[in-house]
Amino acid sequence: MSPAAASNLDYTPPDGGWGWAVVFASFISIGFSYAFPKSLTIFFKEIQEYFSVSYSDIAWISSVMLASMYAGGPISSILVNRYGSRPVVMAGGLMVCAGMVLASFGTSIIHLYLCVGVIGGVGLAFNLQPALTIISTYFQAKRPLANGLAMTGSPVLLSTLAPLNQFLFDSFGWRGSFLILGSIVLNCCVAGALMRPVNKLVKPKPDIELSKRNGEEVEGIGKQPDAHLSVDKENSCQRCLYRFIDFSLFKHRGFLIYLVGNVAMFFGFFAPVVFLAPYAKDLGIDEYSAAFLLSIFALVDMFIRPATGLIGNTKWVRPRIQYFFSFAVLYNGVCHLLCPLATGYTGLVVYSVFFGSAFGMLSALLFEVLMDLVGAPRFSTAVGLVTIIECGPVLLGPPLSGALVDIFGDYKYMYYACGVMMLVPGIYFFIMHYYNYKKLEEEHRKSADVEKRTSDEAVTLNANQDDQPVNE
Amino acid sequence: MALSMIYSPLLLLLVSCSRRVVSKTTGPTPAPLVPTSTLPTYVKSVVLKGESHTERLELLNPVNLTLECTWAGNQNKEPNITGWWLKDGNDVPNSRVPVELQNEQYNLRGVFSVNNDTTLGNYSCVFANEARIDFLLEAPQIGDVREKPIVSYIGDSTVITCKMDDTKPMPITWNWFRDNGTEKEQIIAESSRFEIKNDERKTRLVVHDLTEEDSGLYYCGAVFAISTPMSHVKLKVITIMEPLKPFLAILVEVVVLVAAILLYEKTQSKKKATAENVPSADQNNTVTQEEPNGPEGSPSTRQRKV
Repeated sequence: MSPAAASNLDYTPPDGGWGWAVVFASFISIGFSYAFPKSLTIFFKEIQEYFSVSYSDIAWISSVMLASMYAGGPISSILVNRYGSRPVVMAGGLMVCAGMVLASFGTSIIHLYLCVGVIGGVGLAFNLQPALTIISTYFQAKRPLANGLAMTGSPVLLSTLAPLNQFLFDSFGWRGSFLILGSIVLNCCVAGALMRPVNKLVKPKPDIELSKRNGEEVEGIGKQPDAHLSVDKENSCQRCLYRFIDFSLFKHRGFLIYLVGNVAMFFGFFAPVVFLAPYAKDLGIDEYSAAFLLSIFALVDMFIRPATGLIGNTKWVRPRIQYFFSFAVLYNGVCHLLCPLATGYTGLVVYSVFFGSAFGMLSALLFEVLMDLVGAPRFSTAVGLVTIIECGPVLLGPPLSGALVDIFGDYKYMYYACGVMMLVPGIYFFIMHYYNYKKLEEEHRKSADVEKRTSDEAVTLNANQDDQPVNE
Repeated sequence: MALSMIYSPLLLLLVSCSRRVVSKTTGPTPAPLVPTSTLPTYVKSVVLKGESHTERLELLNPVNLTLECTWAGNQNKEPNITGWWLKDGNDVPNSRVPVELQNEQYNLRGVFSVNNDTTLGNYSCVFANEARIDFLLEAPQIGDVREKPIVSYIGDSTVITCKMDDTKPMPITWNWFRDNGTEKEQIIAESSRFEIKNDERKTRLVVHDLTEEDSGLYYCGAVFAISTPMSHVKLKVITIMEPLKPFLAILVEVVVLVAAILLYEKTQSKKKATAENVPSADQNNTVTQEEPNGPEGSPSTRQRKV
């Protein structure tokens, strides 16, 4: 029960070594999870012609895939808690492959919804969660950097998959492309093979400074003896619950702050990306230049994510990383509010650069701060709960913004709305985390006092015992 | 094609940038050979500034077209020069006429009966080989041409589409043609394998039960009274073997990599075991099998330490 357990892990994470291979594996898994659904949109026009359906019917494929990916989160968490990351990622890779191969023989649009949407989406969920979880088991001191690097997978793979998909489509049509994409996505199994379970036999280093530096919650200390006792008490019901979903997370202060803020924020998170090119075209910019804006956005995003990880790792930022995250959310909001001021192509290029950096900063920190709040052991469950609850705003955000554009006939109101949807959570995060940090410091001081008292008592007890035999 | 310098009572329209044609008849006149007197008339006048100019004219129906060219002349300002007409670069017979300088301008006028494909083209009025105005007469062109081929598979069906721009006039109907080596052969919709669905601005050709012979160029023609402008789409039919080859190649690569990684891990752990000289086989097994994260895990590790 030493304070070293404040790191919530009863072993020392390697913070390197095989960990970097795991970061690379997570890079691939996370990359496929986020980039794959977006890159499939290239095939939609042709599939729409083939099945003679409307564009909104086709767009449903993306929505079903995204919804399945987010809804599959809790299932993924349960499986990771039970079996570890490796089998789940490999199973996920196989699922997406099977889904794509089946879809390539599809005869109706419903067939595609099921194969690409449901099976593919759940398979990607089985990639995303374990990839994030395993980073938390391998890294502690260098975790923000590892997270930043792993999240870079998304823009990098999107930049690779987009032209690749175009090439496949020109050479093989949509059926052949789906078949080949099925095999490409099987590389997630390679990523899974790299996700070796971490060696937990290394003794923990007693390092109070380490835990203080990380600013991690001290509740974990309280939890460990409880867990120990619960086993002795044979509280099988509680054990059952903990095995599957840790609903006690809903009483966790940090988790609740994160959840509420994120749900609000996600309404305005993805819509600006979706509408960047249409907005540019609306301003009279030609199609290729509009597409180039997205490339600029992706390029800036790609470099900002590891940079954010590096900054998050510095000794000034790491203890107060929640503020860094709040700043990133605010920055996004300000960016969107200022967007309507951008006139002409140069203005939009400047906006794309700033937006790219804002988006990348936020994405790199998104899961790092959750790890920071709930700690590594409960991260898997936490992220499962977060994704399924975020499913709503993620799916509703772009259509609602689209409705705003349709009602007002002008994109600027949508940007104002998105800006506000990010500014308010940003301010909310700043305030709530200030409060949370204060509370954590209080709890830490209290438990440190308790520790000191018990150790003093133990010393005096020992001294008395030593005295007694001498007396006798 | 007849050229006649007929001074008929006509309205002079000012030069405009619009390409819309004002047609005096409402219904289509599909018959190609119509007596000149029953054709509607249209006049296009262009004043030349500079040495040459090109004017595009979009025609839907057969017309009696009067083209008027006006040139301000050069420094010499000769009182009489020769003017003539060209069609697609070739001299129009009997078109050479003397042109007088009137009000500091030279005027040349030609009347042409434009009623089918051969009569459409490039008409030019030439002033003494010094100035020239080109009139490009054509039916509305199909804009959206797809350069890359449509790829489909044997036994599958495919949909080929052609679309007329929203800014252009609507065709009467659409026809589809297939290259037959020497000429274009029209595709008849009644045959079982082909289906044509026309939708005013858009046409779709559905081909069922594809075979390799179905590969090639397909032409869609937008039918107007005056002509049928065409656009082409290339269809490529391939077997399932084509994408299967890269699929299997990548599959092999994945299997090889996964096996290599897992083997490497096995040899690493074996080396560790022999180096430490500890019966660590059980520990290794438990490490590689389970990764309990919840509180359930911690008690067991505590027990091991104890």
